[in-house]
Amino acid sequence: MVEDQPSSARTSHICHITAGSHRPSRGDVPAGGPLNRCPEDHGTPPGGSRPPTGARGGRARELDGSVTVFTEPMTSALSLIGLTKSFGAKRAVDGLHLEVRRGCMFGLVGPNGAGKTTTLSMATGLLRPDAGTARVLDHDVWSDPAAAKALMGVLPDGVRLFDRLSGRELLRYVGLLRRVPPADIELRSGELLEALGLREDGDTLVVEYSAGMTKKIGLACALIHAPRLLVLDEPFEAVDPVSGEGIRSILRGYARSGGTVVLSSHVMELVESLCDELAVVARGQVLAAGTVDAVRAGSTLQQRFLDLVGFQADTSEGLAWLRSSSASS
Amino acid sequence: MVALLVRLKLTLLRNSLRRSVWRTVGLVIGGLYALGLVGGALAGLVGLRYTSLATTADVTVLAYAALTAGWLVFSLLVFGVDETVDPAKFALLPVRARELQPGLLLAAAIGVPGVATGLLGLGLLVAWTRSVPLTLAALVAVPLGLVTCLLLARSATAAFSAFLSSRRFRDLAFVALALVGAALGIAGNLLGSLGRLAPDQLRGLLSGAAQVAAWTPFGWAWALPADLARGRWGAGAVHLLLALALVAGLWRAWGHFLAARLVEPVEGGGEATTVHRSGWIERLYPVSPAGGVAARTLRYWRRDPRYLAGVAGFLIAPVVVMLVSLTDPEGHPWMAVLAPALMSMLVGSSVAQDLSYDGSAVWAHISAGVDGASDRLGRVLSTLTVYLPLLAVLLGAAFLLTGRWDLLGPAVGLTLVLTLGGLGVGAFVGSLWQWPAPPPGSSPFQKGSSGGLPVLLSFFVTMAATVLVALPTLALAVASFWLPWAGWVALPVGLASGLLALRLGITHGGRLLDRRWPEVLSAVSERVG
Repeated sequence: MVEDQPSSARTSHICHITAGSHRPSRGDVPAGGPLNRCPEDHGTPPGGSRPPTGARGGRARELDGSVTVFTEPMTSALSLIGLTKSFGAKRAVDGLHLEVRRGCMFGLVGPNGAGKTTTLSMATGLLRPDAGTARVLDHDVWSDPAAAKALMGVLPDGVRLFDRLSGRELLRYVGLLRRVPPADIELRSGELLEALGLREDGDTLVVEYSAGMTKKIGLACALIHAPRLLVLDEPFEAVDPVSGEGIRSILRGYARSGGTVVLSSHVMELVESLCDELAVVARGQVLAAGTVDAVRAGSTLQQRFLDLVGFQADTSEGLAWLRSSSASS
Repeated sequence: MVALLVRLKLTLLRNSLRRSVWRTVGLVIGGLYALGLVGGALAGLVGLRYTSLATTADVTVLAYAALTAGWLVFSLLVFGVDETVDPAKFALLPVRARELQPGLLLAAAIGVPGVATGLLGLGLLVAWTRSVPLTLAALVAVPLGLVTCLLLARSATAAFSAFLSSRRFRDLAFVALALVGAALGIAGNLLGSLGRLAPDQLRGLLSGAAQVAAWTPFGWAWALPADLARGRWGAGAVHLLLALALVAGLWRAWGHFLAARLVEPVEGGGEATTVHRSGWIERLYPVSPAGGVAARTLRYWRRDPRYLAGVAGFLIAPVVVMLVSLTDPEGHPWMAVLAPALMSMLVGSSVAQDLSYDGSAVWAHISAGVDGASDRLGRVLSTLTVYLPLLAVLLGAAFLLTGRWDLLGPAVGLTLVLTLGGLGVGAFVGSLWQWPAPPPGSSPFQKGSSGGLPVLLSFFVTMAATVLVALPTLALAVASFWLPWAGWVALPVGLASGLLALRLGITHGGRLLDRRWPEVLSAVSERVG
C-alpha cells in the first residue's frame, strides 16, 4: 500500500542481482506502454468512444446535464483537503488539495514516489492521514466511513487479493462483503468476466492469474456493487492492448452515465487520450490541475509534465562511456 | 568471486535484520536455541572421551549420519531456507556455474544451521583426539563430512528446483514439515521409553544402527575415524574413497544443475488449477458479510497449506495421547476421554492468527466497509465448521473405546468451554495485534523468522486466556473425581461460560477492528523499517 517509492530505494543494494528474477516490478513503465503510445493502431471503436480532445468539452456539458437529474450539481465526487502523511522522516503527501467533479474521468499523474498511491490510499480509507480530510460525494471518509465506502469502488496497487479463490468466487466474496443481493452478484459477475475477457478463467484460482489478469479481476471486484465513484491505482499496468481497450470502453461508458473515475498512471499518453481532467502530482503536492487542455497549455502533456516535475533532458554529457562501449562492440 | 558472494550473503543478512526488530529478535532466539543444542552436544562429545572407543564410534557415526541426512531432508522440505543467494538471480550476469560454486558453497554455510554444524564438526575432532592416527583421521573426516552436508543440500535443491518451486509441492512440503515437527516431539517421547530396555540390549541396538548408518552415503565420511578406532583399516580405506567420490560426484552434479538453472531460471506457477463451483459451502452460511467471510475462510482451510498444517498439528497431540493411554495397560483411560479437550484448547489461536494470514488482501474487507463483528463472526463460524465435527468424532471414539460414560459431563463441558471460549479469546486477540505472515504457498522459512515471535506470543496469550475462561468448568471437572454430580454441572457451566466469552470476544474484537482497520492493514503488510 504505502511502499510506492521506498521499494526502489530498498532494493537498490541488490538490484544487480534481483534483475534476474522475472517478476515485473511495479513502478516500471508498464507493459501497457505500447498500447498507450499508439492508440490509433487498434482503430477507433464505432460510436466515437474516443472523441478528439476538442469534443471533450461537449461531452462534459452533456454529462453535467445528466448528473443534475439525480443529485445536486455543485458537490464534488471526491474532495481532498490538506491531506498529509509522513513515513518516518519522509513526507510522502504534503498538504494535498484536489477536487474531482461528478461525472469526470480524472487522471492523477506523477513520477515514481510522487505520493499517488499514498494519496489514493488515504482517499479510500485504507491509510489513515496525519492531517486533512477526504470526502466522497459529501461523506467524510474518515468520520463516516460506512457511507463513503459504500459509494466507492477501489482497485489498489501492490496489495494481494484473496488469491486462493477462483475469479468467480472472489467476485462473489466481494459482492457479499458489500451486501449485494446474490442474484445480482451472479448476473453481474458473469457479465464482468465476459466483458473483461476472463470467462474462460472464471474457475481458475486467482493465484495462477497473470499480472494483467489479476488487474482485471481486481477491476471487476471494484465494479461489482455498481459504485458511484471508482478509484483505480494504475489500472492499465501489465494489461494487454486488447483488454486495455476493453477497460477503457467500460470506464468511458461508466463516466458517460454519470459515474466518476479517478485513476493514477504515469503514462501521459494514456491520461491524455482517456481523461477529461488531470492533476500532476510530485513530492506529495498538486503542481497543476484542470482540464487536459488547460494543463498542457499548448505544449504536449509529456513536455508540460517534464517541465512541471523539473526534469532536464541533459544527458548529452553523462553516460559517455555507454555510447562509446556500444559503438566499439 | 568467493569473497564477493560471501559479502553479498552477509549484506543480505544484515539488511534483512535491519528491516525489522522482530527478525533480529528471532535470529537471536534461534541462535541461542541452536547454541544450547550445540553446547549440549559438545558436552556429550567431551564425555564420550571417557567411554570406550567402540561406544564413541557407534554414537558419533549414528549421530553425524543423522545430521547429514537432516541437511538433505530439511533443505528439500524447507526449500528456501538458504535462497537468499538464489542461483536463478545470477542468470542475467555473465558468470559460469564453476566460478559461482565455491562462493555459493561458502555462502550456504553462513547462517545458524551452518555455524551450528561447523561447531559440531569441531566437537567431533575433540572427541577423537585420543591418539595421533585417530586425530589425523578425524582431521580428514570432519571437513569431508561438513562439505558433504552442504553439497547434499545444494545439489538436491538445485536438482529439484523446478519441482520444489511448484505451488503444489510447496503446499505439500508445508504440511509435511508441520507433521515432521510434531513427529519429532513424539519421537522424543518414544526414545524416552527406550530407557526401559536393558543396557546391553540398548548397546546392541546402537551398534547395529551405527553399522547400517556407516554404510549409507550419509555416514561414509564420519565412519572413517570409527573404522580406525576399531582397527579396521580396510573398511576405513573404502569409506574414505567412497566419501571422496561422493563429494566429487556431488560437486559435479551441483555444477551441472547450477549451469542449467543459470540458463533457465525456474519460475513458479504455470499449472492452472480450476475449481469446482461448489455452492454447498455458500449454502452453509447466511447471505451476509459474515457468511461470506465464513465461506471464504472455509475454502482457505482446504486450499491454503497453512490452515491444513494447523489442523494436522492440532490433531496429532490428542490422537497420540489417546492411542498411548488406550494401548498402555497401566494408562489412565480418563486421559483418552479428556484428550479432545486438549485439542480444543488450541482452536482459538487459529482465529487469532487469521487476519495475519490474510495479509494485505484484507484491504477488501476495509474498502467494503465490513464491520468488525461480521469479520470476527465469519471466521469463528468457519473454524467451528472445521473443528466441531473433528471434536465430536474424537470424543465419540474416546467414549466408545473406554466406556467411561461417567466422564461425559466434565469431558464435554471442558471441550465446549475451551472451544467456544477459545474462539472468543482468539477473536479478540486476533484484532488486538497482527504481524506480516509469509503469504500462502511460500516457504515458512523464506522470510527469515519474521513473525516468529509475535506468533508465539499470540499463541500463548490466547491459550492462557482460554484456560482462564475455562477455570470454573475446570474446577467442577476436577471436583467431579470426588463429587460425581459436579461433573454434570460442568456441562451447562462450560456451555454457558464458553458462549459468553465467544459473544464478548466477537463484539469487543469487532469494535476494536472498527476503530483500527487501517492500522491492521499496515500491520499485516510487509513494510520497510
